[in-house]
Amino acid sequence: MSPATLCVDPVTQEIIEGKLMATVDEMGIVMARTSMSPVIYEVLDFACGLLTAEGELVAQMNGITLFTGTFGVQVKALIAKFAGNLFDGDILLSNDPYAGGTHACDFAIVKPLFAEGRIVAYAINVAHYLDVGGSVPGSLAPNATSVFQEGLRLPGVKVVRSDVFSDEILNIISENVRLPEIALGDLNAQVATVRVAARRMAELSSKYGITTVQAAFANLLDTSEKRSRAAISLLPDGCYEATDIIDGDGVSATPIVVTVAVTIAGDSIAADFTGCPPAVAGPINCARGALQSAVKTIIKAMVGPQAPSNEGWFRPLTVIAPSGTIFTAEKPSPTGWYYEGSVHASELVWKALAPLMPSRFSAGSYSSLCVVYISGTDKSGQPFIHIEPQHGGWGGSEHRDGANAVIALTDGDTYNYSVEVIEARFPLRVKRYGFNVEGGAGAGRRRGGFGIVREYEILSKDASAYGSFGRTSTLPWGMDGGGSGTANVLQITPADQGEPQSYGRVAHIDLKSGDLLRVVTGGGGGWGDAQQREPGLIEQDLQNGFLTEAEASALYGYERRIAG
Amino acid sequence: MIRLATDVGGTFTDLVGYDERSGELFTAKSLTTVDDQSLGVLDAIAVAEAKDGLRTRDVTFFAHGGTTVINAITERKGVRTALVTTAGFRDVLEIGRGNRPDLYNLQFHSPEPFVPRHLRFEVRERLDASGQVIVPLELDDLRPIIARCQAEDIEAVAILFLHSYANPEHEILCAGILADALPFATICASHEVSRQWREYERTNTVVLNAYVQPIIQNYFEQLKRSLTRRNLTCPYYAMQSNGGISTFDQAVASPLTLVESGPAGGVAGAARIGTAIGESEVLSLDVGGTTAKCSLIHGGRPTLNVEYRLEHTRIAPGHAIQVPVVDIVEIGSGGGSIARIDDRGVLIVGPQSAGSSPGPACYGRGGLKPTLSDAILTIGVFDPATFAGGSLHLDKQKAKEAIATIAGPLGLAIEDAAIAIIEIAHASMINALKLVTVQRGHDPRDAVFVVSGGAGPALATRLGRDLSVKATVIPPHPGIFSAWGMLAAEPRADFRSTWFAALSTQALADMSVRFKGLETEAVAYFAKGEDADIRFTYQVEARYRGQEHGVFTHVEPDDDVRGFTERFHAAHERAYSFRLADAAIEITTLHLEAVLNGAVIALPKIEPTGSSAALTGHRNVYFGGTRGWISCPVYARGLLAPGQFIEGPMIVEEATATTLVQENQVLSVTDTGILIIRETSVEAE
Repeated sequence: MSPATLCVDPVTQEIIEGKLMATVDEMGIVMARTSMSPVIYEVLDFACGLLTAEGELVAQMNGITLFTGTFGVQVKALIAKFAGNLFDGDILLSNDPYAGGTHACDFAIVKPLFAEGRIVAYAINVAHYLDVGGSVPGSLAPNATSVFQEGLRLPGVKVVRSDVFSDEILNIISENVRLPEIALGDLNAQVATVRVAARRMAELSSKYGITTVQAAFANLLDTSEKRSRAAISLLPDGCYEATDIIDGDGVSATPIVVTVAVTIAGDSIAADFTGCPPAVAGPINCARGALQSAVKTIIKAMVGPQAPSNEGWFRPLTVIAPSGTIFTAEKPSPTGWYYEGSVHASELVWKALAPLMPSRFSAGSYSSLCVVYISGTDKSGQPFIHIEPQHGGWGGSEHRDGANAVIALTDGDTYNYSVEVIEARFPLRVKRYGFNVEGGAGAGRRRGGFGIVREYEILSKDASAYGSFGRTSTLPWGMDGGGSGTANVLQITPADQGEPQSYGRVAHIDLKSGDLLRVVTGGGGGWGDAQQREPGLIEQDLQNGFLTEAEASALYGYERRIAG
Repeated sequence: MIRLATDVGGTFTDLVGYDERSGELFTAKSLTTVDDQSLGVLDAIAVAEAKDGLRTRDVTFFAHGGTTVINAITERKGVRTALVTTAGFRDVLEIGRGNRPDLYNLQFHSPEPFVPRHLRFEVRERLDASGQVIVPLELDDLRPIIARCQAEDIEAVAILFLHSYANPEHEILCAGILADALPFATICASHEVSRQWREYERTNTVVLNAYVQPIIQNYFEQLKRSLTRRNLTCPYYAMQSNGGISTFDQAVASPLTLVESGPAGGVAGAARIGTAIGESEVLSLDVGGTTAKCSLIHGGRPTLNVEYRLEHTRIAPGHAIQVPVVDIVEIGSGGGSIARIDDRGVLIVGPQSAGSSPGPACYGRGGLKPTLSDAILTIGVFDPATFAGGSLHLDKQKAKEAIATIAGPLGLAIEDAAIAIIEIAHASMINALKLVTVQRGHDPRDAVFVVSGGAGPALATRLGRDLSVKATVIPPHPGIFSAWGMLAAEPRADFRSTWFAALSTQALADMSVRFKGLETEAVAYFAKGEDADIRFTYQVEARYRGQEHGVFTHVEPDDDVRGFTERFHAAHERAYSFRLADAAIEITTLHLEAVLNGAVIALPKIEPTGSSAALTGHRNVYFGGTRGWISCPVYARGLLAPGQFIEGPMIVEEATATTLVQENQVLSVTDTGILIIRETSVEAE
């Protein structure tokens, strides 16, 4: 009997689903607390999941949206590669962007989970490594023109055989990355998480039997698919288009026009990216796996945002795109900053669908993670790398102003970095961390949320920075007559009081002690006509310093009565 | 003389009194009075006076746990609070950590801060991470702030300056000036409530502390006045979230330490039960009306949560606060949890609860939805006539009718649907119990399982069996166990401070000096003189170089590098399953736990009775499809004899709970009346 035709009683089903979530959560707790690299422990740039024996995602921890759709593609690629050659106690490692991955910095650790002598599931942990070699510290040269500048690639190797680490692989890693102690520490943490998953799945299999467990997986996927189709059926059939502009690729500032046509037909949905330009020279390309993920993120937001994610939700979805485009890059196109490209694929679908279901969408946001790398040597001559994604303003929605300073769509449960912790660790002093009120946010009946300003004084004699900021000239879009949001920018004011220099995607900035590095993220777009904004809300913004009287007058036509 | 505890819960205020001379224990209950909880406390005292002849002038110790603090926060009914902070950082409180745990919600917002932007003021000043002054405090900046606070009728001011954990001098100076200028406002500086780094978490801690301080102060003053009027004058203690008690004055100085006051009472009680039966590893579970709470006692001491977050859920970031809170995992499965079939056709239990009004269907107060309590009644564990000592007659027919609403769609018989409800609640409790044990590196097989709460003992033995615990233990008075636990708590204070050092002989010498300094603070805190009988426990948070989060490790102040290293490796391996033998080790936080040795509740010996005196009858209980209905003997707990062994299946009844013992389990009764249930076929080691 095939699992799909086997019935699991609703009680056992609920218990197994609860156990799956408990397992991926447990993997996440172990990872966050034991990893060595700040990218993982402070900003939680990792995710864990469980998949069926066929490589379909059944459970995923709350982590970041970038990995929404990549796990299945990665595991399926590994299944194809290792067919018949996987044994209990093996653990695989892959960081190949083109085999479903994202960029070389993301190390996927995959463990086949055995019961009764056969594979019943896979556990996966993908985490962003601080450095994987390549042309610059942190491995993400914003002006890379080929994947060979982006560090070591291990496209599917057995890092553990029969529960024993492969010394050869560990050696290759430690000789090819800049901070081997951190990399191997993270690898240890990742392996610990998939081993936790193996123990939990073994408990489940021995209690309920593998036939029941696999049938429960099938039910879970089928049920999610049904709910997804039901939600899509409520939307009017039709073709919905959107276009957007990506502000440069890191090699040139030339605007890149991208487009989508989303078709809803009955209970199915298709997103067609035909017409998008070929892969660009710089590293903001993404491979097909990341495109899938980008579209799935928005579909999930629309059909069932709070329900646990699994592959079933995405069965009604088809993603169409010819190979070799900016969203379907192939070897050797660089993909280091792939999320700077893939976020635009998400936003295109978002923009196309937002008018159909205002209850689930908001206007455009600051979008770009605005990641900055600051590296150099500290007082004791030790090298340091500080990597930080930045939080920013989100768009207004039908009933509420946009959110201030939360992380971009591509991440998720991603924390900002504590100022006190930074200053204890790096030769940096933070001069300001607050809302970017002076930059403003999109006006509207419901205005956009505010971005942030974060200012670093450099205390190291010998430092440099690089980064890749999107939405530096094409602003977050307003909805339903709301105003556009505001721009992201990276500014450097030299210590000798020169004029501040502005940057977007920049490969290298020399820094010296006393220089000021200023990260500014934009405000989100507004929703609805600004002239209809209620005076009470305008007064509140005036009181809280979110608006000046001049702005109130110019944007909202509001004249403040003199307080008595 | 009498030791008295009162625990204010969501619905009832529980009272437990213990007469130290006679060993007699008496209990009372009143309805919680929401607006002024002291009224309900006085009602409970009045009940005890009428029922058991409590004489308030005989009370020599009074412990109190309540929800005033947590209610003021969750209902946002604190006072009008301002924040004074380092120039450039007034938005830190509102930005929080900026995370979006509700990943796919495109309308996500961070939680609202407790001080709006226009009441957050900036002052020029700056320290570096080592506490060195970079920019002196600009006193002129305080003048306009004082004027604004006066104009805005500010009742409390919180102060946070960056790196004040390393050097509090600017906060002290600022607090002094504000206290002089704003005599009617409470002034609270962050270093007084937390010496740990991370500016958002510490800001939130000091803000919430300031926000509730005047409220708890008024409440305790009111309570003290009322108690005095009733001739109840003795030292008054408040139950703290760390499992210990403090004087009312100490609690007012640091009200956030009361945030999980009630649940911590239960944990203190479970630790006391562990001591009574000679067990230092205790897994505790308290099943209330709306939720179940579990916690682990390790080495005889409650475990503390290192990152406590109020109102935190899977999809809500919550409010992080840096106060010592017993590590409690709470899930939405309690006696009143409602069972329903969701849109996927799957059976769900909780987190919605029928509460006490209308309550479960079987209460007959208009509740129509099936709850966990209805299921337990339907399978025969509860007796409709004797439930709650006969004070509340349960309606079995109404319970069945409610369960029928889900049995039909599931295609199950009513008793099987009841079993299904219990199974779902059981599974989520198991997940939570594993979270506090297995997932934190502790093996439930090493622990005894102490179960309390109204519905807890009915579910306990199945849970204990699934977890393979050493034994399942039902304490005396399981239905009012939090109040009982408050009589088991001792005065306690935790001193935790961020201190950064690479492990070396010198660092350990410095650590020892710093611990001495914390000990001096502890002696001053208890104000019982230099020779006070204080138990100190030393812990450090340490990590491998490069890690951010550390592991708390028990240490001794005179540890050498080798001894320290081995303790840390072992703790890391326990928590995370691996050790890095060659990695450098860093210390990040010191934690001194100080407990003032005091008298705690003793467990009086029970009287021997005839071995069959306790048997009151038989009742049919449904054990699921394969076993079916089985006739179980029913015993009255109060008549059980010390040293008695009874094989399951069987039932033990008492006023506040009903215990079900499974087949192949045996119940034993200790000489102090604690029920211990073990498997009959205990496997060899």
